[in-house]
Amino acid sequence: MSAPPPTVKVPFSIYRYEPGRDRSPRYQEYTLDLAPHTPLLTALLRIRAEIDPTLSIRYSCRSAICGSCAMQVNSKSRLACETPVGPELEKHGRIVVEPMRNQPVVRDLVVDQSPFWTQYTKVEPHLKLDPRRPMPEGAPNPMTPAEVERFYETPRCIACAACFSACPAVEVDPEFPGPMALAKLYRYTVDPRDQAHQERLLRIQPGGLWLCLRCHLCTESCPKDVRPSERIRDLKEMAIAVQGATEQGSRHAFYFKENLKDGGLLNEMKLARQTYGLFGLVKELPQGVRIMRKKPEMRKKPHPIEGADEVRKIYDALDAKEAPK
Amino acid sequence: MKLAYYPGCVAQESGKELDLATRWVCRALGIELVPFPAFSCCGSGFVDEANEVLNIGINARNLAIAEKAGLDLLTICSTCTGMLNLANVRMTDPQVRARVDAALKPLGIEYRGTVKVKHLLQVLTQDVGLEAIRAKVRRPLAGLQVGAFYGCHLLRPADEMRSESGEEPQSFEELLKVLGATPVYYRGRVMCCGFPIQFVKGPTASRLAGRQIQDAKSHGADAMATPCPLCHISLDAYQNRAEKEVGQRLDLPVFHLPQVVGLALGATPAELGLKRHLVPTDSALAKIRAPSPA
Repeated sequence: MSAPPPTVKVPFSIYRYEPGRDRSPRYQEYTLDLAPHTPLLTALLRIRAEIDPTLSIRYSCRSAICGSCAMQVNSKSRLACETPVGPELEKHGRIVVEPMRNQPVVRDLVVDQSPFWTQYTKVEPHLKLDPRRPMPEGAPNPMTPAEVERFYETPRCIACAACFSACPAVEVDPEFPGPMALAKLYRYTVDPRDQAHQERLLRIQPGGLWLCLRCHLCTESCPKDVRPSERIRDLKEMAIAVQGATEQGSRHAFYFKENLKDGGLLNEMKLARQTYGLFGLVKELPQGVRIMRKKPEMRKKPHPIEGADEVRKIYDALDAKEAPK
Repeated sequence: MKLAYYPGCVAQESGKELDLATRWVCRALGIELVPFPAFSCCGSGFVDEANEVLNIGINARNLAIAEKAGLDLLTICSTCTGMLNLANVRMTDPQVRARVDAALKPLGIEYRGTVKVKHLLQVLTQDVGLEAIRAKVRRPLAGLQVGAFYGCHLLRPADEMRSESGEEPQSFEELLKVLGATPVYYRGRVMCCGFPIQFVKGPTASRLAGRQIQDAKSHGADAMATPCPLCHISLDAYQNRAEKEVGQRLDLPVFHLPQVVGLALGATPAELGLKRHLVPTDSALAKIRAPSPA
């Protein structure tokens, strides 16, 4: 019989809190002897079974399929069931376990996921068919491999909310739908069977898309490599095409693009005028003056780069679309 | 060491002090910077949002300029690094490559994909090396607690950026230690500064910046330091707004990466353009001593 794998002492610092009962959250320390490959979830279940039966955890499949055990592990959004303790211990010397962020705590590591599901429901995550164009009864509705390829990543989502927990835009602005809801929106927007593409894109509200910071923390934390930040980028490009540059976010992206066409470098002042409009610019003036006193170059138009005509020709070749209004 | 110098728009305009400090540090470390007046803006992530392929096209042109000169590219902005790297990654997709090649070819431009995009932080920590820098320190930043603030696009997506880590980088803190400073570890160091939405919803952007500054400060930072001039705008030029959003006076100086390196190597505040900051750096400078003679 082979010897059991060597174990190491693993110190845990676990968030404990029951709103309504505890005055404030506290961190409780536990130490276990564990083999380095032990999943965090297994460790937590051992703590509950052997040391402290009052520890609340949400989990189910233990196999990174059900998406139940997302939590903050040393400040990162992770599924506990697929996070081995060894590497965390090596990097941090201990393992700090906290509930997911951006959702209210029910108890200890269990959160109330309603903010996440509310945003998800809002994007109507199901195929929408046009009643005027019913599908033939019993007929299949096939897709080509190329069509499936466009959204093959997004159906992998297991709705664990790790991205929602990691998202700084959700943290500071509850209006933002969050990465997963937008990845789902993308999935139905490019699904050839869905008949509400235009409507979906037109209905995206100002706060909905352009609050994404493209910080890619969602993509980093996603256990299924859905890459929400990249799909949100795709949605932005599609939204400009359908909605036009009609709101602050799309205007800024659109006019930034236009800005480089002549001269190749960013003209900061011109962009500010175009993004904010005259009224908005006046409102921003005091801040602008405050900054320009220290940084006078901002006022100047940059010199055109050498070969600015090349940049223009690249635009002609790759950005032939009419300017949306 | 000789590198194609890609300063980016901000360092040539409102963030001129970053360019100044970069040139000073590179001179001190024997890094030759080759300027190319033909470089265009990287698109700053906004062009990518408006038209992905166009963004790759203009950056492939930038990369082709360096390739033709046989040089790797030095960037001093996290977002420039991200966008130029993204072009490198996306150009490996045959369909994207075909479209971009078709746009560049009539202009006599070809990009074969051989240029490495290196941010100054990577050049300092990987190519120059921490020991070589340690040997040149004339004014150890002893007594100064610094919160590194990386900037998203230097790190993420980690697989595409081939960065040290998307969520737990170490290089900036290791560099700070070599400079004699004490790095401050806080959650916000890998978070977003809010810059991308400064023009979409200013208060939300500033609330985010405010939280990261608060986080650094509450962990004991005397100053922050960032390798990204866009983060610098959010954290320094807009710190007054961040203060308003979080309802707290912050008053935390924010250095550009080459400014902290320059200070430790003996540069004067004037040589590093410190007077151009909106938040005065005096409180941080008061903590460090005069440089020892060379």
